[in-house]
Formats: sequence, structure tokens, C-alpha cells
Amino acid sequence: MPESKDQIKEILPKQGLLYQEDMPTVVLCKPKLLPLKSVTLEKLEKMQKEAQETVRQQEKDAQNQQLDWFS
Amino acid sequence: MDPLFLAYSYFRRRKYQQCTDLCSQLLEKNPYDQAAWTLKTRALTGQVYVDEVDVDEEGIAEMVMDDNTIAQVSRPGTSLKQPGTGKGAPSQGIRPMSQSGRPVSGFVRPGTQGGRPGTMERAIMTPRTAHTARPVTSASGRYVRLGTASMLSTPDGPFINLARLNFAKYAARPNLAKALFEYIFHHENDVRNALELAALATESVQFKDWWWKVQLAKCYYRLGMYRDAERQLKSALTQQEMIDSYLYLCKVYVRLDQPLTAVEVYKQGLEKFQGETTLLTGIARIYEGMNDMDNAVKFYKDVLNFDSMHVEAIACIATHHFYTDQPEVALKFYRRLLQMGVYNGELFNNLGLCCFYAQQYDMTLTCFERALSLAEEQTLADVWFNIGHVALGIGDMTLAYQCFRLTVANNNDHAEAYNNLGVLELRKGNVEMARAFFQAAMVTSPHMHEPHYNWAALADQLGDLQSSFNAAKRAVEAFPDHVDSKELLKQLRHHFSLL
Repeated sequence: MPESKDQIKEILPKQGLLYQEDMPTVVLCKPKLLPLKSVTLEKLEKMQKEAQETVRQQEKDAQNQQLDWFS
Repeated sequence: MDPLFLAYSYFRRRKYQQCTDLCSQLLEKNPYDQAAWTLKTRALTGQVYVDEVDVDEEGIAEMVMDDNTIAQVSRPGTSLKQPGTGKGAPSQGIRPMSQSGRPVSGFVRPGTQGGRPGTMERAIMTPRTAHTARPVTSASGRYVRLGTASMLSTPDGPFINLARLNFAKYAARPNLAKALFEYIFHHENDVRNALELAALATESVQFKDWWWKVQLAKCYYRLGMYRDAERQLKSALTQQEMIDSYLYLCKVYVRLDQPLTAVEVYKQGLEKFQGETTLLTGIARIYEGMNDMDNAVKFYKDVLNFDSMHVEAIACIATHHFYTDQPEVALKFYRRLLQMGVYNGELFNNLGLCCFYAQQYDMTLTCFERALSLAEEQTLADVWFNIGHVALGIGDMTLAYQCFRLTVANNNDHAEAYNNLGVLELRKGNVEMARAFFQAAMVTSPHMHEPHYNWAALADQLGDLQSSFNAAKRAVEAFPDHVDSKELLKQLRHHFSLL
């Protein structure tokens, strides 16, 4: 781990001929490590997905029944 | 075999569905069978049970109209609302920030997904993006949605009709009351009725049972009555020291925005339960939330001393090492996770990135291929984004461009990708396109400093000094120590003063 206290300071030469040009450049966004999911979160998401599935299935069944009834 | 025995066996093996079916049959024969009734409530609870300590969903209303905090402007280092001083944390230019102005964590839990936005404006803007959906209040959040879904999926109505229940009768019978409470709280998500039952039950045992006090506190917490929850938990702790009670108490303090008190309580708990990893993790999480990385990593390492298989600790330490320029150390930690059996897109993505930056090029692309095949919809965009970075690293601009395009195709409010696309367009000389991309990035996530700065730099070169000034000011707001933005701002100020 880098120690914040004794960081090495840069040395900028101040004597002699010195040519310095600072070009402002655009910056990229940095690469992103993805956070891992906790067990609880995974379980919640799984439960939510399953619940949605069952509800959708039931709605479909109900629709089919209605269609049968009409025909 | 005796059907009740079989049902118990199913319950122990966590085959809750079979257990419930068997109990239903038993109850049809004899509706007054208490054993079957209790078992069925417990099985139904088990199906949807999640650890309540871990679940924390904060709605917009709770967050913005929070009247529990003592001071609106708190001293630095005493509040979770302010990002903190960033002791030992890598600078914002290196480690990406979440919307709340904290470095992204290595691990997500239900409560940490959104972070706390600082203002009303941001709070309302945040959930617009499809991937950070946040409920308006926790009363309309995940719990209720799950509750209604479970109700719909039982064709002949709910198992217990709460409206007809005589709570006083059940409260007097401890063997039934506890199972019934958990059923109401977890399965039905009916906090008000659960609270009523708990209040009656704790009365009927003459306030001598710590368990009921903790349950009362849970209900108060869900209802947003944090001070009442605190009182119940403290009273429970004087009766019986339990890890769970300590964890709840700290959760209450975190919600009251008193992180230092929470750390104190965790430490009290650690005196009783030495080396308890959940308590240590709690402290580390709070320090991480306050952006005090030195302490956070220290406590995560403590956790690993006691439990070397702790996924959260390993992931957070790895993330810290990666962003403090030690990708090879991070790689070791992530490989350890892989050995432990964590197998998902996120992990392979992280492995790929670490491999690339630790110069182990042979593994990089294989890892990313695996990540792509395993990733779910939401993470797919981020995986492509990182592959884009690898492409940038090897100088293949076309591939990078395509990768960022794919990122945007998978998640059309991926601000980082828009920003990088802008940079690539600028390299090609398409100024108008670049401007459009920067603007898209700025609008979708105003908390990032890069698009603001890029916009400012571009506008400066094009001679649009006023908008350059405004954008540079926003960049400095997002990242106060950004040297280039400050330099640009100084130049512009100088320029304006000459006019």
C-alpha cells in the first residue's frame, strides 16, 4: 500500500533552457471493477424473478381460459 | 410413514414446497392440528426468508425527507451523508465514484446499490436510469412486491387470514406466536399486524423475553420509528447479549446517520463476542462508507484473520489493491475467490481486468470471454466497457470503438461509455459527434467529472469560453482536486478579467 505521508515529490528543473508545453487533453473514464453480489441480494433477486414468472404464468393461464370460454 | 414426520423431514432438508403440500393435506383432514399448522407457517416463511440484518432498502422519501438527522450540515467525518475526507483512498481520478460521491465498493448488498444522493434533484433523477431503480418509499419497495406475488401464486387465497385472527389469543401461546410472527413479518410483509402481535406477546411474557423485543424493534425499524427501535434493542441487550441485537442496533444508528456511535456499539459487541466476523465487517462497511479506506481495509483484513473464506472482505480488499496500483495483488485475491467457488460474470470480468493490468496477457481475453458468456443483462454492458479498455491498451481503436458501442447498446445510459466514445470521436476529428457524446454523458450522470472536464476543454478550444467556464466549474464541483479543471478555470478567470 502506498504510504500517503512519505510520497516522493517530483523534481522540476528550474535552471537552464527549459521548454514546457502543457497540452490540455481530454480524459477517459477509468476501467471499472464490478462489485460482487451478496448472497442476500442474489436470493432477493431470484425470488423476485420467480414471483414475476409465476404471476405472468397465471395471467397467461387466465387469458387462455377466457379464450376457451369464448370459443 | 407418519406424514407429519415426513413433513418435518422435508422441512429440515429445506424442501419447503413439499413440506407445505403435506401440511396442507394434514390440515384438510384436521383443521385444528397445531403441529401441522405451525410447521406450515414455518415452511412458508422459510421459502421467502432473507436475513433481515442484511436487507435494507431506503426509498427516496425516507432519504430526502429524513427528519431524524440531528444536523443538516455535519462536521466532516461524522456523517455518512458527506463522502468524508478520503483517508488512504485513491484519488477520484483513478477509482470511479458512485452517485453519492464515494468510491465504488467491491461488493454490493441490498442497501448499497443506490447510495445516498445529496439533493432532492439528484434523488429524483437517479431512479430514472433503468439500472438503479429505487422505490419511492420502502413501503412500496421489494417487500411488498414479493408479498403480493406470493399471495397471487396461491390459488385459494392466503393461508392465514390476518383480518380474522384474534391476536390476543395467539400472543398468549408462545409456541404458536413466534412462528406466526415470522410468517406475518416475512411472508405477508404486513408490518403493522406483526407489530400488534409482537406488542401483545411481549406483554403476555411480562417483558421478559428478549426475542420479542428484537422483533418489536424490527417492526419499528420498518415503520421508520428509529428511536423506538433503539429503545427496544437496548432493553433486549440488557437482558441477553446477542450478536443479532448488536447488528440491529448498529443498523438503526446507521439509518440515524450516526456512524461513529455505530462503530462504538460494534466495538462493545466485539468485547463480548471476540472475533465475530459479522461485527468486524460492520465496522469495515461503515469506514468504507465514510471513505476512510485505511481503516476499512484494516478491518477487512481482521475479518480475514478469523474467516479466510469471507467473500465480502476478499472482494473489497482486492478492489482496494486494484485501484492503488497493485493489480497483481488484486489478482491473487480474485483467484482465491474463484478457488472458493464463486463463479459469475462479475468475477471473471475483474479477473480479466487484473490480468491485463498485471501484464498477464495470455489470460485476459479468455477471462473476458468467460465473463461475457456468464454475465447477465445488466453486467454485460460493463463487461464490454472493460473490454473496450483492453482494446485501448493494445491500441486497437476500432475494436475499442465497437466495444463502447456495444456497451451503449446493452445499457443506453452508460455514461462512462458515452464519455469514452466522445474521446475517440475527438481523436478522429469529429468535433460535433464528440460534443454530443460528452453532453449525453453529462446528462446521464452528473456526478462524474470526466465529461464535464472534456466538454470544458473542447469548448475552450472552440472558443466558447462561457460554456467552458460553466462546465469546468461543474467538474471542480464533482472532483475538487482535479488539477486540469482547476488550471483551466484559472486560465478562463484570467481571460475574463482582461476583458
